[in-house]
Amino acid sequence: MTTTIQETDKSIIAFLSGEMDTAAAAQVEKDLQPLLDSKGKEIVLDCKELEYISSSGLRVLLSILKQAQTVGSRVVLKNVNDVIHDVLDISGFISIFDIE
Amino acid sequence: MLPFKNGWMSRVGIVVLAAVLVELISIVQYERVRRIMLEDMEIRGRLALGRLTDKIQSTLQITETTMRENLWDVRHSIVHPDSVFPAMVRLIDNNPHVEGGFVAFTPYYYPSKGRLFEPYAAKQGDGTYRVVQLGGPDHDYTQNDEYIWIMDHQAPCWSDPYQYGPDSVSFTTYSYPIFDAGGEIVAICGLDVNLSWLGDTLNSHQFFPSSFCLLLTPEGELVAGPPGERFSPEEINNVVSFVNQGLPESALPGLTVLQTTLGKDPYWKLVQVYSTKELFAKMHQQRRQQFILVVLCLAVLAFVINRFSRNERKLLVTSAEKARMSGELDVARKIQQEMLPKSFPSFVYGSLEPALEVGGDLIDFYTRDGKLFFCIGDVSGKGVPSAMLMSVAHSLFRILSQKIDSPSKILDYMNKELGRGNDSNMFMTFFLGCLDLYSGELRFSNAGHDKPYVITRDITLLPSKANLPLAVFPNTQYEEQTCTLAPGTLLLLYTDGLTEAKNMERQAFGRPRIQAVLEKFLTSADQSLFKLVSTLSEEAHAFAGAAPQSDDLTMLALRFDTSANRRDQITLVNKKSEVTRMGSFVKAFLGPLEMDQRTSAGMRLALEEAVVNVINYAYPAGEEGEVLIQADTNGHEVRFTITDSGYPFDPTTVLEPDTTLDAQNRPIGGLGILLSRKLMDSISYNRKDGKNVLSLTKNIL
Repeated sequence: MTTTIQETDKSIIAFLSGEMDTAAAAQVEKDLQPLLDSKGKEIVLDCKELEYISSSGLRVLLSILKQAQTVGSRVVLKNVNDVIHDVLDISGFISIFDIE
Repeated sequence: MLPFKNGWMSRVGIVVLAAVLVELISIVQYERVRRIMLEDMEIRGRLALGRLTDKIQSTLQITETTMRENLWDVRHSIVHPDSVFPAMVRLIDNNPHVEGGFVAFTPYYYPSKGRLFEPYAAKQGDGTYRVVQLGGPDHDYTQNDEYIWIMDHQAPCWSDPYQYGPDSVSFTTYSYPIFDAGGEIVAICGLDVNLSWLGDTLNSHQFFPSSFCLLLTPEGELVAGPPGERFSPEEINNVVSFVNQGLPESALPGLTVLQTTLGKDPYWKLVQVYSTKELFAKMHQQRRQQFILVVLCLAVLAFVINRFSRNERKLLVTSAEKARMSGELDVARKIQQEMLPKSFPSFVYGSLEPALEVGGDLIDFYTRDGKLFFCIGDVSGKGVPSAMLMSVAHSLFRILSQKIDSPSKILDYMNKELGRGNDSNMFMTFFLGCLDLYSGELRFSNAGHDKPYVITRDITLLPSKANLPLAVFPNTQYEEQTCTLAPGTLLLLYTDGLTEAKNMERQAFGRPRIQAVLEKFLTSADQSLFKLVSTLSEEAHAFAGAAPQSDDLTMLALRFDTSANRRDQITLVNKKSEVTRMGSFVKAFLGPLEMDQRTSAGMRLALEEAVVNVINYAYPAGEEGEVLIQADTNGHEVRFTITDSGYPFDPTTVLEPDTTLDAQNRPIGGLGILLSRKLMDSISYNRKDGKNVLSLTKNIL
C-alpha cells in the first residue's frame, strides 16, 4: 500500500495505491497526516489505484473527513472502483463523502 | 336480449296467438271431417234403408206369393162351407209370418150359413190351430175398408196395420179376391201378417246406439219402431210428426232423417233416423282434448324458450365470470410458478407440472451454511384450496429453515401452524431434508410422504419412517433420521402424481416402471439430473397417453456431488499483521473458482473483518492466541470457518451501527461485523469444545 500526496493552490490530492487492509491502515493513517492540516483547501482522495479497503481503512478516511469538516474543507473521492464502491455503499459512507 | 323488452307479456301473447291459430286450423279441419262424415253417414243410412226395404218387401211378397200359389186349395174348398176351415189351416201353415187367415164370403153365399160367413183359422202358441166362424151381427166384415176397396177395384190389397189381441201386436192383412167361374167375386181371402218382427228387423243392425228405423203407413201411422226402452215415445212421435208434416230437416236439431218408400202407391214409408250430435260428440270431445293438449304444449314450449333465453343470458354472465376467474387463476398459477425454484445448480433439479391451473404440490430447496435444505410436499386434493395451503407451507419452510437446522423441528413447527384452524381438514405429506454438502450427512424427517429413491449403483428406497402428514394432529412429534450419502449418490423425491399417473385403462405408472427408467438412466451417457427428471416425466406422459393428467406430476432430484469439493486452512496468531497472510490465503483459495473481483474482494473483506475482530478482542491483551481459518468449497459455495479458543463471543448478536448518521456523529466501531454480514450470505456462530466457531458462507453461482 503506497500513498502519494500532491499539494496545489486549491487542493491537496492523495493518490492511494494497493490494498488498504487492517494491517496497512495504521501506516496509511500516518502517511496521510498532511491531509489533516488542509488549511481550507479541498482534499481529493484519488482511488484509481486502490484495490481494496477494510473497515480500518474506512476509519482513516472518516477521521480525515471529520477533521476537514471542522475547517470547512471538502473531501472528494475520485475514481472509485466497484469493490471500493460496494464497501462505501454498505457502510453508508457514500452519503458523507463527495464521490466524483 | 333486446327483442324482448317486455319479455313475459310478449311471450304470453305469442302463446295465445299460437293457441288461436291452432284452434282455427282445428275448426276448419273439424268442419271438413264433419262434412265428409255426414256424407258418409247418409250413404250408410241410404244403404241400410235399401237393405231394409228389400227385406220388408220380400217378406210381404212372400205373403202375396203364399196367397197366390195356395189360393187354388181355398177356391176348391168353398164347394162346401165346412171344408174351408182345413183349407185355411193349410194356407196359414205355409208362411211363418202369417198368424191367421180368413175367407169372408159375399152375403148369402151359403144360404145355409145366413148372410155373413167368415171361416177363420189361427195359429196357437202350442202348435195347434184355432178355427172359428167370425161373421155375425157384431162383426160385419162387409163394412171393412179392404172389403169395400176390393169389391170396387177387383184387386188384392194390404190393410193398414192394426193392433190386435191382449199384447197389442201389430198386424196387417193381405186380402185377395176369389172369383167364380163367371168372374164375380164370391169371397175375399185374407192373411193376417204379424208385423212384430218388423221392429226387430228394422233396428237389429244400427250403426249408432242412438240411430233407429221407423216404418210408417201411407197415412203416416207408425207400424214398427225401436224397442220402447231405448227411446222415449216423445222422441219417436217427434220424428213421426216431422215426417208426416214434411218439415225441413232443421226442425229436428241434432237428428238426421232419411226416408224411403216401400211397395206401390199409396206408399209406406221407411225412415232412418240418426243423431249427428252423438256422431260428433266423440269427435268434439277429442278436439277439445287436443286443443287443451296443444295449449299445454305451447305453454311448456314458452317456458322452455324462456328458460333457454334466461340461461343463455346467465351463460353470458357466467362465461364472463369464468374468463375473469380463469384470468385470476392464471395469475395465481404464475405466482405459484414464480415461487418455485427456477434456476438449478448442477446438483439439484426439479419440476412441477400441475394437473389443474394451480397445484397442491410443492418443491423447494436452497443452500445455507454449506447445507442444502430441500423439501417436497403434496397437499390432499387439487386446485385453489390445495395451492393456498401449499403456499403457507412453502413460506413456513422458508422462514423456519433459515434459523433451524433440524428437519424434524421444522416439521414440528410447520405442523402446528398448518393445523391451526384447519377446518377444511386438509393435510399435506411432506419430506424435508438437510444435506451437508461437504460431509454428505443427510438429516431428514418424513411426514407421510413417499420414500425417496436412493440411487447409487443400486436403486433403493430411503428407509424413512412415515410420520403423520402435516396438519393432521397439532401435537405430532416428528422423528428425525440421519444417514450419510456416499459421494455421487442421487436422491429422487417425487409425489404420487408420478407413481399414480394413470393411463386410459386406469392402470398406474407404478414403481416397476419407475425402476426400469432409473436403471436405464444409470447406463445412459447423460447423467444430468435434468435428464433423469425429464425422462421420467416423458415416460409417465407416454404411459398415460390420452388420459387426462390426474394429479400434479412433481419431482425433485439431487446429487451429493463432491467433485468440486476443496479444503484449505491456515493458522494465524492474534496480530493485525497476520491479516496480510490471510489475504494471500484467501486469494489463493478463491483463485481457481470462477468469480469476479467484486465477489472475491467482498469475501476477503468479510473474512478479514471477522478475523480482525478475533485478533482484537478474543484474547486478553498481550496474550498470544491462535486463529484457525478453514476454507471449504463444493464448487457452488464457499465457506470460511474461523475457530479460536478465546472468550466466548457471538458476533452475530452485535447490533448494526446506524449508517445514516453524518460524519461527525458516526461511530468508528461496529462497521466490521456489518460488512461481514452484508458481504456473505450467512454467518453462523457456534461455541464448540471451548472454542468459538464462526462460519461465513457465500453462494458463488
